[in-house]
Amino acid sequence: MKPLVLGVGSPFAADRVGWCAVEALQLRLGDALAFECCDRPGAHLLSLLRGRPCVAIIDALLGVTAGSLHVLQPSDLARDAGTAVHGFGVADALGLAEALGDLPPRLVLIGIGVGAGEVLPEVDWDALAAQLTNLLA
Amino acid sequence: MNKREIAIHVPVLARVEGEGALDLHISGDRIDHLHLRIFEPPRLFEKFLEGRSFRDVPDMVARICGICPVAYQMSAAHAIEQAFGMDPGPWVRDMRRLFYCGEWLESHALHVHLLAAPDFLGFPTAIAMAQKFPEEVRRGLQLQELGNAIVRLLGGRSVHPVGARIGGFSHAPSPEAAADLLARLEAVVPDAEALVHWVASLPMPDDVQAFTCVSLRHPQEYPMNEGRLVSNHGLDMDIRSYRERFSEFHVPHSTSLHSTLDGKPYLVGPLARLNLNMDRLPPAVAKNLAATGIRFPSSNMFHSALARAVEIHLALLEAIRILENYRPAQPHIAPTPRAGVGYGCTEAPRGFLWHRFEMDGQGRVVNTEIVPPTAQNQARIEEDLRRSLLAFGLDQPEEALRLRAETVIRNYDPCISCSTHFLRLNLERQ
Repeated sequence: MKPLVLGVGSPFAADRVGWCAVEALQLRLGDALAFECCDRPGAHLLSLLRGRPCVAIIDALLGVTAGSLHVLQPSDLARDAGTAVHGFGVADALGLAEALGDLPPRLVLIGIGVGAGEVLPEVDWDALAAQLTNLLA
Repeated sequence: MNKREIAIHVPVLARVEGEGALDLHISGDRIDHLHLRIFEPPRLFEKFLEGRSFRDVPDMVARICGICPVAYQMSAAHAIEQAFGMDPGPWVRDMRRLFYCGEWLESHALHVHLLAAPDFLGFPTAIAMAQKFPEEVRRGLQLQELGNAIVRLLGGRSVHPVGARIGGFSHAPSPEAAADLLARLEAVVPDAEALVHWVASLPMPDDVQAFTCVSLRHPQEYPMNEGRLVSNHGLDMDIRSYRERFSEFHVPHSTSLHSTLDGKPYLVGPLARLNLNMDRLPPAVAKNLAATGIRFPSSNMFHSALARAVEIHLALLEAIRILENYRPAQPHIAPTPRAGVGYGCTEAPRGFLWHRFEMDGQGRVVNTEIVPPTAQNQARIEEDLRRSLLAFGLDQPEEALRLRAETVIRNYDPCISCSTHFLRLNLERQ
């Protein structure tokens, strides 16, 4: 089974950057990987992870330099049940998957800084593709 | 006499959608001040819709809520179709009921397992609860995912679906896709039955109150897309007459309007629906519920969670019934715009969602009113908090009071963003 690259976000403004990353990576790494975009998946993220040996999740990082790339650990993500969709965001979904033993054996988290989150940032997609290739090697 | 004075402030209420807060001020054995503060900015959807074509409306109103977009699409579609004087026919009616079953399944399963159950079982989060109850949480996630699958079948995607349109749907699912989903739904019927018994066994507070229930009621079926507005106190009206008895008004502490029926708070949502429509349950659902030993109508507000589990069972069986008889057909009829006013009222997971659309002769929105369920429940939540905390005992430790208050609020599954027209507890005790 090919590694799955999941772009998380929504269709608008800076939150779209995870989807844009998937489009850019499909052009550069297409055949080697599987790709999917998801719109604020909440608990649905668990069903996307289940049974997958390797998953890379790419999401926007609010309040971080626009366009900067960051490799994260699940523990880096703040679980903020007060602000995510219906109190259940990516960090909560990963925490729940871990509690249920459903995390993929290999999980890569990449955050893309979006500053204040108002506009889609300029991103070096070649650098992202190179970084992801190294992480999945 | 107890002279203790405390102030509890919950600046961010967890496990609800959107942003709000609770301010509570207690003097001895008296609640001086209790405000559910909703400070999420108004979202102004009613104004955004003005001047837009009927074709834009389903996709725009779906954006009001990430959890119940189907409800917004269905109430709007019914209202505009009424204004245009059109009836999309039985195939569309069945598919809309199936669409709604998907939304009830995903929304209710999310609330029961990830938002409410941790309160009853004494866990701070669903993640902590999952370590002790992994099979129950897996079962809930599976039911939720099947709800998402139903919404995807007709809507193209589960969040903000795009398949609904005025007059029906953009496409008819293939028989193969419908048959595949039917098999997946049939496989989990025992899980839905077991879920009802699990929720009935949860250690819920025995908090009996008097309150007014309001929901739709349909002559033959459990209400989703159609019916008259009824209450347990004699209300029985056409949805077009809503404004004659229901009022909305501003309160200083909330960007969400409060609603009353004849000047008094009322309850909408699964407990109100079940209390008013027990005789519309399919026999298998009624039999499974009766076997729990818990009787409805119920005046225990915490039985809302059990009502959600019952509606999960119902939605699953309804979806199976519709899919067993599925045949592809022309998925929509073409609207012929005409000037007029139409009303739509459907049962969102959190309660009835009332829409009024005035359209012009070119099919553009002249003006609209959208009354979401969480806004309707706000006055009832404040009333419930006051009664529940007094029954719980104001001499309880501050942390216990805070937890009980949050549990009461989460029990309503409030959708604050939708209602903004909503939570952080600020308690002051003197």
